[in-house]
Order: sequence, then C-alpha cells, then structure tokens
Amino acid sequence: MKKKVLSVLMCAALAATMLAGCGGSSSSSEGSTGAAGGDTSGKTYAIVTKSAGNPYNEKEAEGFQEVIEAAGGTCIVQNPESATADAQITVIQSLISQGVDSIAIAANDANALASVCQEAMDAGIQVLTLDSDVNSATRKTFCNQAGVQEVGQALIDAVYDIAGGEGQYAILSATSQATNQNAWIEAMKSIQESDEKYSKLELVEVAYGDDEPQKSTDQTQALLQNYPDLKVICAPTTVGISAAAKVLQDQKSSVKLTGLGLPSEMAEYIGADDAHSCPYMFLWNPIDLGKLAGYASIALVDGTITGAAGDTFEAGDMENSPYTLTELADGSGASEIILGPPFQFNPDNIEEWKSIY
Amino acid sequence: MAGKSGRTISATPQGGIKEKIFSWEGALILLLIAVNIFGAVLSPNYNMTNILRESPRYLAEIFMLFGMAFILVLGDIDISVGSIVCLTATMGCLVSNKGMGVGAVILVCLGVGLLCGMLNGFVATKFTELPTMIITLGTQIIFRGIAEVALGDGGSASMTDIQSIGILRAKVGPVPLSFFIVIICAIIFITVLNKTTFGRKLYAIGSNRTTAYYTGIEVQRIRFFSFSMLGFLAGLCGLFLLASTYGANTTTGNGFEMEVIAMCVFGGIATTGGKGNIIGGFIAAFIIVCLRIAFGQINMNTQLILVIIGVMLIVSVLIPAVTNAINSRKKTKKA
Repeated sequence: MKKKVLSVLMCAALAATMLAGCGGSSSSSEGSTGAAGGDTSGKTYAIVTKSAGNPYNEKEAEGFQEVIEAAGGTCIVQNPESATADAQITVIQSLISQGVDSIAIAANDANALASVCQEAMDAGIQVLTLDSDVNSATRKTFCNQAGVQEVGQALIDAVYDIAGGEGQYAILSATSQATNQNAWIEAMKSIQESDEKYSKLELVEVAYGDDEPQKSTDQTQALLQNYPDLKVICAPTTVGISAAAKVLQDQKSSVKLTGLGLPSEMAEYIGADDAHSCPYMFLWNPIDLGKLAGYASIALVDGTITGAAGDTFEAGDMENSPYTLTELADGSGASEIILGPPFQFNPDNIEEWKSIY
Repeated sequence: MAGKSGRTISATPQGGIKEKIFSWEGALILLLIAVNIFGAVLSPNYNMTNILRESPRYLAEIFMLFGMAFILVLGDIDISVGSIVCLTATMGCLVSNKGMGVGAVILVCLGVGLLCGMLNGFVATKFTELPTMIITLGTQIIFRGIAEVALGDGGSASMTDIQSIGILRAKVGPVPLSFFIVIICAIIFITVLNKTTFGRKLYAIGSNRTTAYYTGIEVQRIRFFSFSMLGFLAGLCGLFLLASTYGANTTTGNGFEMEVIAMCVFGGIATTGGKGNIIGGFIAAFIIVCLRIAFGQINMNTQLILVIIGVMLIVSVLIPAVTNAINSRKKTKKA
C-alpha cells in the first residue's frame, strides 16, 4: 500500500516536471525569436571566472561586464564554488540550459573543459576563453593577456633602457621547467640576437628561484656577489621580483630591477630615485583583458568574426583597437587575440594600482 | 525495534494510509514536486531536457548514496569516499595515459575502489573498538595522499585519449547512461534492504550490534561486505567523473563524502543506525540535485546555494526530533 502511494506521488512529481518543461521551453523560444536582430540588446553574454574570491579574475569580470552593459546586452558573471574544472563544468552546463549567446571562460583545466565546451558550441553558443585557454579545438578564440613576443620585447626594452644601453644583466626566473617563463626568456634572447641595438647588453646568467621567496632571495644575493658589474636584474615572475626587490633595496645596491610583478606587492619598491630598487615593471591589465573578451564576445555573436585567424574587429576605445585574430604557434590553425604589450607600472600609476591587485 | 509479531524488523511503523502520506518519504515527494514547480517558475529553462543534460555530474555522486545508506543503517560511517573517488579517477587517468584501453580503465577504477573499500572494511572489522569515523578519517588522508603522490608535482593529470572513454558518456535519447545505472542500483539496493534477510540483518546490526551478534548474525562479515560495496560504488563514481572531466587533480571528489551523507540524512536515514530507508535518501538526492540545477539556472551565487542546502539539512534533522518529542508527550498524557 505504502509503495503504491509512493509510486503515485513519484509519477505526479515526474508529470509536474514534464509540464514545467513544456511551459518553460515555449517561453524560451519566444524569447529567442524576439531577439533576432543584429544588435546586442536581448542577447546574453556570460563570463565564467576561475573561482569566487580571485581578485585578478574579478577585475577581468568587471571589464567584461562594463563592455557588455555599455553595448546594451545582458551580462552574466558566474564564479564557480571552487577553483576546479568540475565546478566550472557545473556552471557552464547551467549556462547552456539558459541558452546564453556566448560564454567566455578563464579555464581551470585545458582538457577537462573540452567536452563541455564542445557541448556548448554544439548548442550554438559562441565559446571563447580568456586568461587561460582550453583545448583549442573546442573554442572559437582565446583572449591572450601575454603574447610571448610582446612580453619578451617589453622586458628586453626595459633592460636596455634601465641599463643605459649597455652592460651586464641577469635573469631571475621561476623553475627551470616553467613553460611561460622559458618562452619569455627565449623571446628576449632571440630579440637581443636579431637586433644590433642590443649588442652591448650581456646576459650573464639565468638563475632559478623556483618561485620560492627564500630561494629567490638567495639567488639574488649570489648574483650580486658573482657579478660585481651587474647593472640590471630582470625577474619575469611575481615571486622572484618581490624577493629581489627587497634584497636590492635593503642592501641599497646600485643594481636595478625590472620584470613582471604584482602592483600590491611591489608598490614600496617602485620609484625613480636611488632609494627604490625598481624603476618600473610590467604585468597585464586584467580589466583590459576582460574588456577585450567582452568586445570579442559581441563580435562573435553578431558574426563580425568567426574565430578564424585573420578576422578583425573593433574594440571600442581600447588602445590597440582594431584587434586581429592571429594563428596559434602550435600549428593547430586555431586563433588567439593578443591583448597587446604588457601594462607598465611606474611611479606615476603604482599608487592607483596597488590597491587593485 | 522488532515489530509486534516479532517476525519482522520494520524500518517504518505499521500504520494507516494517512500515516503513509504523512511519512517522511511522502513529505519528501511533496517537497520534490514543490522544488520542481519552484524551479519551473524561477527559470524558463528548467525542463526535462536541460535537467537530464546537467545531471551526469550529480548522478555519479548518487551512485555512492546506496552504499552509504547501508553503512549508515549499520550504524557506521565512511568519510573516505571522496578520497576514493579522487584515487580511482587518478589511477584510471594514469592507466589510460599508459596507452591502455577503456576496458583496463574501467577495471582499474572499479578495482581500486573495491580495494579501498575492502581496506576500510578490514580495519573496521579487525579493530572493532575503533570508531569508523576515525578509521575512515585516516584512510581518507591516506587515499588522497596516494593520489597526490601519483599525480606528482603539478597535482593534476589529463587524459590524452579522450575518445575511448566516450562510451561512458553515451546517451539513450536525452537520457545519460549514468541515469540507468542509478535506477538499476536503486532497484537492487532498495529490494535488498527491504525484502531480503540480508537487509533485515543490516537493520538488526544498526539497532543493537551486540544483540544482533548473539542472535547469530555474522556482524563483521556483513560490515566488511558493506564497506567493500561502498568502495566499489565510489570507484564507479570516480570512473564516471573521469569520463566527464577527462582527468583528475588533487581536488577531485572534494567534499563528496559530506554531500552523500547529507543526502542520506536528509532522506531520513539516521547516522545512529537502524533507521531510515534508501527510498527516502533517493528522493532527497533528487531534491538536492533539482534545487542545485534550478538555482544554477537563475545564476544564484554558488556559495548561497550551499548555505540553503545546509539549512535544509539542519531543518530535516530537527523536524523528526521535534515531532518525536511532541508524540511522546502525547503518549505519556494518554497513559
């Protein structure tokens, strides 16, 4: 008897869901026919961050939202409950159900998100990535904050400028296997070799601080002892640069520092005078990256770009607009959009940025 | 706990039809209907197709519900299942990357899960004086530790061959494979718990282990079997998770044990043992899944969803306690 009552209720529950489904699907189809214009109003653009409480990602989402809302579209910002691919899959699945027009993802894992991204693309959603990419076959394009050549060029120019055009410099990197750092260092070396302008610069050593503050400190001190004529240290890693900055400033060394660092950690070391160890340094501007992803989403949805290399689109008031999609170096034929040269943090703007990230 | 006839040990009291509708399971079904209506009102996209499409990740978790229900009815607990999921997914991924086929991956996942469960069962039955909470806390750390060592420095592994495991993502129409497995598991486990002597023995052990032992029930053998079973189901969960995320990392399966225990408790299965029914846990699982999907579709803050589920859990434990207190007061007044 009890079973019967239960099963009747179960059936009722299922029937209720079905009915709910019918009602729901008809109203959503009305919505999509109504929005069949060429503009952004009525379109929904989503951004999925790595996780809640990631200030860098929050800035990206802020830039994205600003662009979408200024264009009159609806913006959904989704922060997964944890920084895992699993949590992102849950969120993306939900966005597919909602039938959004585009999803921009800062991926927690390249492979794990491949199937859900493919599913979204199959459902007619424009999928793009920013900050960190997924498997390149399962998205339309990737908004890259740091083109390898651009970073290499900015760093070698900074070294050239700070050293006064000649002299010894050293690099303080992360680990010897770090993919990003190695690519940037290679780019610096090849630019230096290819251009006569840098011929008086001499790279004496690439030291590895393993992204540990203590080891980076030790490596910096070793560099100072081994190379008395050293002029500049370039640390393309946030841990390395802050450790080196402290060593140089505490020892009142004449050696200067540049590289890639977090404004919040580096604010007290950045200054043009001799009391500060770092005249200027670089990192990406997460707000601009979010804005770029916003413009790219709009362009993908209205068909201005298809995600093929060579496509171009306007990005409002952004510095490097219009942007062109370039081909990935891995030969897959997939495209990426490079934000531009890294953003320079100098004594003039560091006060404004140090509270941001 | 024994019924009036002395022949059966019923999980739910015998009573009239009114009591059945107002039973915990009846209330849960009403709640499930309410949640579905609520979801449909909240989100225009809350329909069968979308629910089924979003469900595989949750269904994998529900596999473990059945094993966990057995463990809880026995009066034990197993908080190592999340780590077993992590370890099985890791091992499955590494085996696949060694170039072995999907058959080997399935075998490894289920085998590793079963072994982990057997280890839990072995320790729990050999050292009966140890609380299973502490034993499985230990193995939880051990299993995740092994997975982390196997994953190496990066703490993450990705499958290179993502084609062959695709058969686990197969769908019949819109219905995913894991849905059928959940239904099959539900039929088997509900029948075993309610209709067989084995199921009755579980309740007997959970009600009073010493008495059960003296009536000739092979208490330790049944406990060992139940822990092994749960390990196996955790392996199954790890396998399906691997099929949907194509890899494993140190956070895989984090918190699954608590989510599964929450589903059971919400379904009316007491952690003190001897009480409750898988049907309740099964319906409760669907309530939680439907709520998460509905809230997800209106883009509610994911942390807020966790808060709401936590509140529901506490309320679900409070209601029976309060009604019991009221009932017993009524009875004493009558007497």
